[in-house]
Amino acid sequence: MFELVLQAVFSGVLVGSVYALVALGLAVTFGAMRIINLAHGELVLLAAYMAYVVEGRFGLNPWAAIPLALVVVVSLSWVVFKAIDRIREHRELNSLILTFAVGIVLTNAILLIFASDVRSTSSPILQDAISFGDLFAMKGEIVAFCVSLVLMAVLWWWLKKSWYGRAVRAVSSNRSAAALMGIDPARIETASFLVAGALASFAGIALYTMSVVQPAVGHGFTVKAFIVTVLAGVGSIPGVFLGAILLGVTEALTVTLASSALQELAGMVLFLLVLFFLPNGLFGASARRG
Amino acid sequence: MSAKPASSGATTAFLAGAALLVAAAAPIVLGLGNYALGLLVSALVLSGLALSWALLGNLGGMVSFGHAAFFGVGAYASALASARLGVPVAVAVPLGGVIASASALTMLPTLRLSGPYFALAILAYAQIFRILATEATPITGGAAGLQRYPALPTVFGFDLSTRTGSYVLVLVVLTLFVGIYVAIRRSHVGTALRAIAESEVATRVVGVDSVRLKAWMLILSAFMAGVFGALNAHVIGFLEPDYAFGGTWSVMPIIAAVFGGYHTVLGPIFGAVVIYLFDQLVAKSLIPVGHEILLGLVLAAMVLVAPNGISGLVGGVFDRIKGGRRHAAT
Amino acid sequence: MLRLDGVSVRFGGLAALTDVSFEVAKGEILGLVGPNGAGKTTLFNTISGLVKPRGRIVFDGRDVTSKALHQRARVGIGRTFQIPQPMHQLTVRENLEVAQVFGAGALEPARIDEILAVMELSHKADADAATALALQELKRLEIAKALAIRPRVLLLDEVLAGLESRAKRLFMLKLKELHALYGLTIVVVEHDIETISNLCSRAVVLDFGRLIADGTPEEVFRNPDVVKSYTGGTH
Repeated sequence: MFELVLQAVFSGVLVGSVYALVALGLAVTFGAMRIINLAHGELVLLAAYMAYVVEGRFGLNPWAAIPLALVVVVSLSWVVFKAIDRIREHRELNSLILTFAVGIVLTNAILLIFASDVRSTSSPILQDAISFGDLFAMKGEIVAFCVSLVLMAVLWWWLKKSWYGRAVRAVSSNRSAAALMGIDPARIETASFLVAGALASFAGIALYTMSVVQPAVGHGFTVKAFIVTVLAGVGSIPGVFLGAILLGVTEALTVTLASSALQELAGMVLFLLVLFFLPNGLFGASARRG
Repeated sequence: MSAKPASSGATTAFLAGAALLVAAAAPIVLGLGNYALGLLVSALVLSGLALSWALLGNLGGMVSFGHAAFFGVGAYASALASARLGVPVAVAVPLGGVIASASALTMLPTLRLSGPYFALAILAYAQIFRILATEATPITGGAAGLQRYPALPTVFGFDLSTRTGSYVLVLVVLTLFVGIYVAIRRSHVGTALRAIAESEVATRVVGVDSVRLKAWMLILSAFMAGVFGALNAHVIGFLEPDYAFGGTWSVMPIIAAVFGGYHTVLGPIFGAVVIYLFDQLVAKSLIPVGHEILLGLVLAAMVLVAPNGISGLVGGVFDRIKGGRRHAAT
Repeated sequence: MLRLDGVSVRFGGLAALTDVSFEVAKGEILGLVGPNGAGKTTLFNTISGLVKPRGRIVFDGRDVTSKALHQRARVGIGRTFQIPQPMHQLTVRENLEVAQVFGAGALEPARIDEILAVMELSHKADADAATALALQELKRLEIAKALAIRPRVLLLDEVLAGLESRAKRLFMLKLKELHALYGLTIVVVEHDIETISNLCSRAVVLDFGRLIADGTPEEVFRNPDVVKSYTGGTH
């Protein structure tokens, strides 16, 4: 029994690290523009399907799809930004509806191109099991976990140390003051969407290698990413990581101890509990109350 | 949204009302077949749901991404009440609305949340209800769903379970709800609610109990959505969790209301009829699997090109024709 | 009319107000003075109900410390915001109607017309409150809204900020007119020593969240602590 729980926690941490990657993309654009990109999950899904194409069509390891995924997803992310930029009034609400619409378009486009079949990696290397004492993981999961950690570290460094990264933080805390200091909010906002697209690319391939994808799950990724940002509170990368781990572990434990049907329920209930009782998330400061 | 002088509002309302009566009577007068009437019934059900969504968004500024929650609760409540408890359908349908309102009471904590957080919180409730309906097999029939529950009754010799009958019923209920919406909008409560969306603190500072008003709108919106969910359930004749709480019932009202123009009362209704018929008659035959892509494109286009929807465009045209009408923003 | 007893507010680690106590008599015009960041707006927020403090706030004999924002408006505490906050999507007239119906309890169109006339907004009665008014008109609307709830105490947060001297003088005359016309008790937050001396019969001074002086304007501005906080103190 205890081993089952431990295994669930272990697997939950591994998948949680990828949730963190997905959530960070959402958090970066929210931080810079106060806008939630409801199509973010579909961008992640698109990257996953790029991995499927590279593996299925060219017989390569899915991770070789990075260049293709980056090109496709980052360009699409830029297009979404351009569309949002054209909104004149009620930006918060209209961008919510616009990105919602883009999500619908992308989900159905993927459905049309790739059909509704479930896809996952068939690479023997990645599916191979590796053991840590009594705990098991797929090699693919470990690779995904490591990639996530590296990218989180890179993002943390970028936001803290690079000039561009610090400008993003300036714009997200006070847009007009940042503009007065010579920072062009528009360029920062563009950068945030490009970075989000890059994060989505890696996250999508990671998810393809460790889980299954089909057109319908894009929406689910967005919701999970949103749950994680709520758990984390805005403005804290370690918070996002820990919140994502919490979600991943909660889901895994629910599947192990209860049933897989309740997995989604657990995530939703966790989401509502944090929304209602922890207005600042678990780790950060946020302005969620109207 | 500009402030409208009362006189042009009354003329517009009269014209719209007359056009509607004609449009509503036409299908019966023309003797449309069952298939066509069935389509219209479904379109009107969506209209009712879109109306309830728009009411919540307009009066209080609460945009929900999970209206399927109320739709599904109303459907199951009415079906179960009439099948298991022997409640007459005529009572079960409004009861479905009441139970949906009761479910809204569990959502009261969400009222303190801002924009996207509220939207997704309601979505979370919809998912939770769907999963509960799937798991509570002894009560709800589980994933297999419910089938043996009564259809719409015969009232004063008029059989409401026929296509014509259900069409008239849904139309009457819709008209009733439109009346309620208009009445509230015109009242002082409606005026205050319009301001709450963007300036809640400003209203509270002059004595408006904004939280209570928003709660009432949530309860009313849930009631309306629940009633239409119930009506739909008795028209369709079977229910299952993925259908009753399906994402479609959360997504379509948004597309319909934005397309039609959710700042007006009739916009969502018009939008729902057009979008539904477009989807069923055009989109599905062009792209049988994945036809929603066209709807997504329509929604995206509307937000970018005409965020106030068709009724917003029409209103703009009327403004230009009338010329001397005072514009609020200079 | 209004009494504060040991009012304290902390935001996280920051003490915004510490043990503030003073009284405002009925019909008085009280000045609330202090350098930027001293806690003046926070004090208004506690009186009007936006912020919940420790301590007590007694209004007209009733303890209102635990009453919600909208309830305080209904018992007669009216306030304006430093940056005007009109009610969006409504006309100027509708702004006043909402204030009257929900704050005063009943619609009185005649009184709305009167307030519009006194605040010189009659010509803009049907304009969109959020988009069609100039700054001065927005400030007048702030006061008009507060008047519509039939307030017994009026809290004015830097209504003169951003106005040049002639406009300031006119506004001050307007405030005196309102005071006489409606028999109001008024608390004004202002920086300008001359304004306070001109307008107020009494003044209290805040510095770093503490009350450091309470008396007539002449007494208060001669107080060495007050002089130091204005010239020497930094925040």
